[in-house]
Amino acid sequence: MNVGAILLLVLTGVIFLVLLILRGRKGPRPEIRPLPAFQDLWKETGYAAESGGAIHIALGTGGLNGEDAATSLAGVQVVEALADAAVSYEAPPLITVGNPTLLPLAQDLLRRAYERRDVAEMYDPSRVQFVAPSPVAYAAGAAHIVATENVTANTMYGAFGAEVSLITDAGARRDLPQLAAAADTRALGALYPTIGRLAVGEELYAAAAQMTGKRRDLVSLATQDILRVILVLVIVGGAVLAYLGIL
Amino acid sequence: MSKLVKQWIPSLLFATIPGLVVLLGYLFPGRLLIQFQGRVVEWRDVLVEWAVIVAAFAFLLGIFNILRVHGGRIGHRRQGWPYSLLLLLVMVVAWIPPLLPMGIPGQETLDRAVFDYVISPVGASLAALVVFTLALAAFRLLRVRRGAGAVLFLLTVAVVLLGSVPFIGLEWLAGIRDWIINVPGMAGMRGLLLGVALGTVITALRVLVVSERPHSEF
Repeated sequence: MNVGAILLLVLTGVIFLVLLILRGRKGPRPEIRPLPAFQDLWKETGYAAESGGAIHIALGTGGLNGEDAATSLAGVQVVEALADAAVSYEAPPLITVGNPTLLPLAQDLLRRAYERRDVAEMYDPSRVQFVAPSPVAYAAGAAHIVATENVTANTMYGAFGAEVSLITDAGARRDLPQLAAAADTRALGALYPTIGRLAVGEELYAAAAQMTGKRRDLVSLATQDILRVILVLVIVGGAVLAYLGIL
Repeated sequence: MSKLVKQWIPSLLFATIPGLVVLLGYLFPGRLLIQFQGRVVEWRDVLVEWAVIVAAFAFLLGIFNILRVHGGRIGHRRQGWPYSLLLLLVMVVAWIPPLLPMGIPGQETLDRAVFDYVISPVGASLAALVVFTLALAAFRLLRVRRGAGAVLFLLTVAVVLLGSVPFIGLEWLAGIRDWIINVPGMAGMRGLLLGVALGTVITALRVLVVSERPHSEF
């Protein structure tokens, strides 16, 4: 994609985002298609509370300082959305990260959830664990946690590669419910055979809208949909014009 | 006033403005310049350099986290504590060669040896395990989801894998493999990547317009 195309995309995105945010304050609530990869997390959190266990959330090896920053932020949104409910149920999730830049962010989200409930003293920073910076080592370490800790559901949201199959294999061996969302095609190939509740590609970026239902998140999802329609129209129109010899 | 000082100003200073400067520096190279350490450089490069330094400090946090988690496991003799002990010992040992003063005989050799004889082979062994877990996942797919989609998925995997190997008598599979990869595979992947690119742009824009702020309470 050249610079002009990026500039055009960014400008269009900003315009739509701002317009929809302004309109969204009073307008109708955008409707979204429910995705079990996110919606079922509430049920799994409830089950974790009943059984005295915890959900494992793997945030992958992406961080805030690389090309996977947006993907990692989408994963962090899951933690943000789930933190309050998990703390209320006294079933804080066990979060693993493969990039240390996500560590303070995830810890802070969890800590703030405890503070909002006035139980800051119960916050345990080791609920968020930095495993390893290398993708394979991270997957092996996270798999060990799934295999040995009191985990009731295994979930993966963020930047992964094919090595994610080490984590899903550990979950499958314990017959745990597994949910995931990934954007990388290698990760999707590895996740598809094991994970029934899988969010694919751009669906990962719908995490916040799916889980919180907040207007600002729904609006950004609507912006994404509008941009997608525009892109598809441009691609199809360009192909037709090229076929006709006009372009 | 306090909301402005405590919430909006930090968000604008540390997220929106640097983000915009880096983005504009990328879109219009050579326009946003600054005199930095006696040379003229792009603002974007300076900010990215600072981000790298902050990320390096995040690694220190990561190390403290590992010490806390595994130290606690050893202290409470929780399940698998010997592995935690081994991890911490290896971590300490791995730190020794880079910390030795430069010029000490064998320093570089020792540093290299840790990578060549420990980290590299262990990493390769773990990566090799992925093949087995993927094969196991394929079997599980047949057991759990016996639908047309599962059969098609496995059939495609088999054709692509067999088509990649130069078996005598199966050369015709290479043509099918190429078609699968270049036509339906490429079409699906491009559609997926377009969606991911849009999602990435929107997430980044949300940070820029302060609609997405995981670092802040408000």
